[in-house]
Amino acid sequence: MTTESKQTSPAHALREYGSQTPGTKGIPGKRRYSMVIDLRKCIGCMSCVVACKAEYGVPLGVWRTWVMVADKGRYPNSRRIFMPRLCNHCDYPICVRNCPTQATFKHEEGFVLQRYNRCIGCRTCVVACPYNARHFLPAKRTNNNLPVLVVDKCTFCIHRVKKGLVPACVQACVGGARIFGDVNDPKSEVAKLVAREKLTVLKPELGTSPSVYYIGGDWEIMDEPHNYKHRTAQQKEEFNTYKRNHHGDAFGDIVEGENTMYHVGKNMSDFLASIPHKFFDVVAALKKLLFA
Amino acid sequence: METIITYNAVHHAAWGTPITVYFWLVGASAGSFVLSAFGWVFGIKRYKPLALTASILAIVMLMIVPVLLIWDLGKPFRFIYLMLPGYWHGTAPMSWGTLLILSYPISMFVYTYFVIKNDQKWAKIVGIIAIVLALSTHWYTGVVMELNPGRYLNHTPLAPLLFLTGAFISGIGLMILVLWIQNQFTRPEKRIKWELMEEMAQYMMYGIVFDFFLLFLDFMQTQYGTASEYLAHGTVLMEIFFTPYIWLEVVIGLLIPLILLVTPLKHTRIGVYGAAFLVAVGVYGMRIWWVMGGQYIQSFY
Repeated sequence: MTTESKQTSPAHALREYGSQTPGTKGIPGKRRYSMVIDLRKCIGCMSCVVACKAEYGVPLGVWRTWVMVADKGRYPNSRRIFMPRLCNHCDYPICVRNCPTQATFKHEEGFVLQRYNRCIGCRTCVVACPYNARHFLPAKRTNNNLPVLVVDKCTFCIHRVKKGLVPACVQACVGGARIFGDVNDPKSEVAKLVAREKLTVLKPELGTSPSVYYIGGDWEIMDEPHNYKHRTAQQKEEFNTYKRNHHGDAFGDIVEGENTMYHVGKNMSDFLASIPHKFFDVVAALKKLLFA
Repeated sequence: METIITYNAVHHAAWGTPITVYFWLVGASAGSFVLSAFGWVFGIKRYKPLALTASILAIVMLMIVPVLLIWDLGKPFRFIYLMLPGYWHGTAPMSWGTLLILSYPISMFVYTYFVIKNDQKWAKIVGIIAIVLALSTHWYTGVVMELNPGRYLNHTPLAPLLFLTGAFISGIGLMILVLWIQNQFTRPEKRIKWELMEEMAQYMMYGIVFDFFLLFLDFMQTQYGTASEYLAHGTVLMEIFFTPYIWLEVVIGLLIPLILLVTPLKHTRIGVYGAAFLVAVGVYGMRIWWVMGGQYIQSFY
């Protein structure tokens, strides 16, 4: 993982077609909200994850933010390291470019947001996002007023930021590892950290220009191939169990070590079984609309 | 110091089996349509008798596509948003696909109408438009995943070529099987001649050779590529997706049909029909590893 350049120059804003709003990093007079995560201060308490879940009622099995955990070295010379993950609110978001209905868009101040009423649930943005920052909401929710079967993601808590608050995960961070602010404002803590510290971002080679910076990032935990190759046996089994028991609304899960063709067939049967449910849900919604 | 990942969130592969079946159907439809156009567009008269069957086969396969695509959406009845001017997004590959999937069947219907009316002039004009749309529709299925730089297995300019070649051979394979069934129910003078079947099988053989070449290029790219590309091939394709990649695509879909079509068996019915069946089935293997394999590694990140 290479060290990210300071990324405050407008020249760094690459390929803005399809982004709907030009990149605003380093543009005088424009706000550009960013987050710096100081991994030296993260203790892996997961407060940020819980705060985010509570703020939005994020369903089980999906995350707007989560914390990766890794063990570095061998006993007795080992230590545990953590890396919080969330949407990178890229200056050049691939998800925005590839969304066919403009359901996801980039706010001028840097937030990459989702409009549920426009989302058709095609999951193109989920496929496009290199950071796994998007998830598909399940068909059933405990609160019937919340959206279902559309894509959701981290919003950098725009509703809080607009009221002068910091995002819920930043508020809840006990170690003060998450720092949020306007990177274009030289007086902000974020701008000072970006100017002063050695920072890394996830997958800089993709040219997405992320707005989540890490201090003290370990290249191995940030590297996708390394992640895949160096999972514990328990992690592998956890993934397999999750995918094996998943009868959800995405039909692409394959379980490692089991018959691929069986899972291809099972995915198809799950898909066919979902059609009547979706159909009757739509009929019920139409009835409600017309006759309520 | 070695780093072992002890916890990470779980993610799903967003696109799955319905998309693989859609890719296969669109490909076979485009391949069949190319055969239909041989007689009416390219002027190869001996292909005219099979044009109508090929067009109808292409249309029937394309009729299944909306069922798969629309019901795979989280909000199926919002599919109309893909066509509304206020929603349409020009930089999204899926937006291009929507236009193509809409216009391709329309052009096929019009072309088939002129074929039935035996109107050579208009069948040729509409046929040219339809064949461009047929190839574009299948080109789109290749690029819709290619244009995601984060999907290392899919992010290759070979994608549309792999898809189009697969479409060509699976379309011919399926067409040979359909013509064989059709021959069972038609009068002897109306039957498609065996020599034509053999000729189509030879075109299929050239397609198989080209497909092998493309797979070899893809293999070289992954072996000499980045760590992610190497991992995508070495671990995902050769381990998790070994059955669809090696058994279904390479062995059943390409290798055995190639052997059948380069040996004296190519003049036998078992050779031609057997190869046609195996190719039509085997190409589906490529659709599986392409869609689900491409998303596999990242679901652990």
